[in-house]
Amino acid sequence: MAKPVDLALSGLSKHYGRNVAVEGVTLRIAAGELVALLGPSGCGKTTTLRMVAGLVEPSAGEILIGGMQVTKVPVHKRNIGMLFQNYALFPHLSIAQNVAFGLQMRGVGKAETAKRVADALALVQLGSFADRLPAALSGGQQQRVALARALVIEPSLLLLDEPLGALDKNLRESMQVELRQIQRRLGITAVLVTHDQEEAMTLADRIVIMRDGKLEQVGTPEEIYSQPATRFVAGFIGAANFLKGTVASRGAEGLAIALPGGGRLLLPTETQEAPLVAVRPEAIAIGPADGPLPGNGTPATVEQVVYRGQMTHLYMRLDDGEPLLAYLANRDGAAPDGAGMRVGERVMAHWPASANKVVRDN
Amino acid sequence: MSATALPQPRGIAWPGRSSYVSLAMLLPGLAFLFAFLVLPSLVLLANGFMTQHQTGEVAPPFTLANFDRLLFSPAYQRTLLLTLKVAFVTSFVTVVLAYPLAMAIAYAKPWFSRLVMVLVVAPLVVSVLVRSYGWQLLLGNSRTGVLNWLLEAVGFGVTPVKIMFTEWAVVVASVHVFLPLMVLPLATSLTRINPAVIEAARMLGAAPWRAFLRVTLPLSIPGLTAGISVVFSLTAASYITPAMLGGTRGAMLGNLLEQQVTTAYDWAMGGAIAFVMVAIALGANIGATWLIEYRQRARLRASGAR
Ligand SMILES: Nc1ncnc2c1ncn2[C@@H]1O[C@H](COP(=O)(O)OP(=O)(O)OP(=O)(O)O)[C@@H](O)[C@H]1O
Ligand SMILES: [Mg+2]
Repeated sequence: MAKPVDLALSGLSKHYGRNVAVEGVTLRIAAGELVALLGPSGCGKTTTLRMVAGLVEPSAGEILIGGMQVTKVPVHKRNIGMLFQNYALFPHLSIAQNVAFGLQMRGVGKAETAKRVADALALVQLGSFADRLPAALSGGQQQRVALARALVIEPSLLLLDEPLGALDKNLRESMQVELRQIQRRLGITAVLVTHDQEEAMTLADRIVIMRDGKLEQVGTPEEIYSQPATRFVAGFIGAANFLKGTVASRGAEGLAIALPGGGRLLLPTETQEAPLVAVRPEAIAIGPADGPLPGNGTPATVEQVVYRGQMTHLYMRLDDGEPLLAYLANRDGAAPDGAGMRVGERVMAHWPASANKVVRDN
Repeated sequence: MSATALPQPRGIAWPGRSSYVSLAMLLPGLAFLFAFLVLPSLVLLANGFMTQHQTGEVAPPFTLANFDRLLFSPAYQRTLLLTLKVAFVTSFVTVVLAYPLAMAIAYAKPWFSRLVMVLVVAPLVVSVLVRSYGWQLLLGNSRTGVLNWLLEAVGFGVTPVKIMFTEWAVVVASVHVFLPLMVLPLATSLTRINPAVIEAARMLGAAPWRAFLRVTLPLSIPGLTAGISVVFSLTAASYITPAMLGGTRGAMLGNLLEQQVTTAYDWAMGGAIAFVMVAIALGANIGATWLIEYRQRARLRASGAR
């Protein structure tokens, strides 16, 4: 396998007339790293990936692969492997001929081609399918052929545009594991586009959150989840309750914030104004309404109780009309935390101070 | 393989009781076609196997003499071969011209694609007769021919192009007439190709022309064969174009047929010529279909033997 290389994007932009698809994306991806581009539909993930591939010409900015300028290099000279959402196998060629295609384009000899094709098909466990036409394979098998076809040319980069989007949930999860193992084993640098946050969490070393063509936040899955930088990220990855109040007092241990619904927060920050705070639903615990007001908590009224197996989702309303959502864990055998909760009941929701995440409001 | 298979003709079910009404509605049309197309065609074809008598009658004894003369006597044979040559060259030239046009229709920006479409289809609304007159004016062998006048003006010598009243004038005009019939099925075939498949070829290291040869071309074969069989058989069957532009050197089977029937009063020979013309048209269609199936069989055999 070729030595893994790094990928650097600098100020990468794509405009379609007045339409801005991608704007000023600057990003460095280390050799052997798998980075996921994640974001809502139309945020520019595919366009970014296609600029790296050479299928879309950037309006501005630069692309460097292994330190080499490739911004002006045509597609067929970039040596990049790509998986498409609809597999894009050659329908008129057998599986073996599909995998051999890239080697033939490189003028590799017959004997070596046959050997490398066999190796690549063995890698994706499809050796016995070599003589079939793509139409005779299932979606998952076709995508594995596409993976073998992309990897056999020993590309410097692997690009994946929602490669598992057309597969059902179980197959998608097992393919995620397989994809991850192969990428690790070969140590190939990879960029994955997805709008499935679980897929991004499962596969990626780092996640890039995109919004309206721009980078919103870059970090490991844990960083993105536990330290979201903005309201958008906190709401996009997992669920979040957003709370905003007014400064009640400043003390040695931080800022005390009074919430309009009667609750309060304690923040160890030094800001002038009361910031926006995100609290994950699973951080919230429920106590009796007549207890004392906790350091971080608020009285609320239960609106809906949804039993979901591992969790009970508790939908509440604060006294100022804002919603509050809690996920209560259901440990098998023990009485569930959410047991006996009735609609209309008054409760006291509370959480540890460490669950308060200060986010930028945008 | 779905991408290369022609649409299969659906079996025509024998009408049940409920469809007697629709059968009755079909009847007048069918009767008309039978009386004025099928029957006369069969009579004409049968004539080919009979003898033209001095009395003007076409009657038994049955004979293959007409076909023998058509296929082996030098003058007739020349016309037959010329017909095949014109049809072949016309098909070839239309294929070469049609691909870029079809690709523009299939892949270009919508406004450009529509413009090309209109330009390609436009000649179809002008009658063959008018178009042939147009080509007479353009290709005239003297200074009055527009092309020669133009070339002379730019300094190519006196009347450099002398193709009027040869088969080449017929080819030029036929290409003009039949180009849309090649472009349209090709464009349809091209739009059915998943663009990601071509992008995949490019990403795997294929320069644009190699991606075309290895992926686009094979996947557009259904449209290509449809276009070739139509253009080939229509060119081989043409009458007005060679009559107006071919002269005696460029006369084709259609003109020979006319001459046999109206001048030589040899209806037996006319029948034989008609028979051969029908055979060429059928041959072009069957040959094209067979070619696709042959490719598929060969591919399956090749992959089975690997
Ligand atoms: N060829 C094009 N012409 C004009 N606008 C385009 C073109 N391609 C993409 N866009 C626009 O650029 C923006 C980004 O598109 P892109 O396909 O990159 O989004 P995406 O993040 O991949 O979305 P999805 O999750 O739906 O695939 C969209 O607003 C889209 O409409
Ligand atoms: Mg996309």
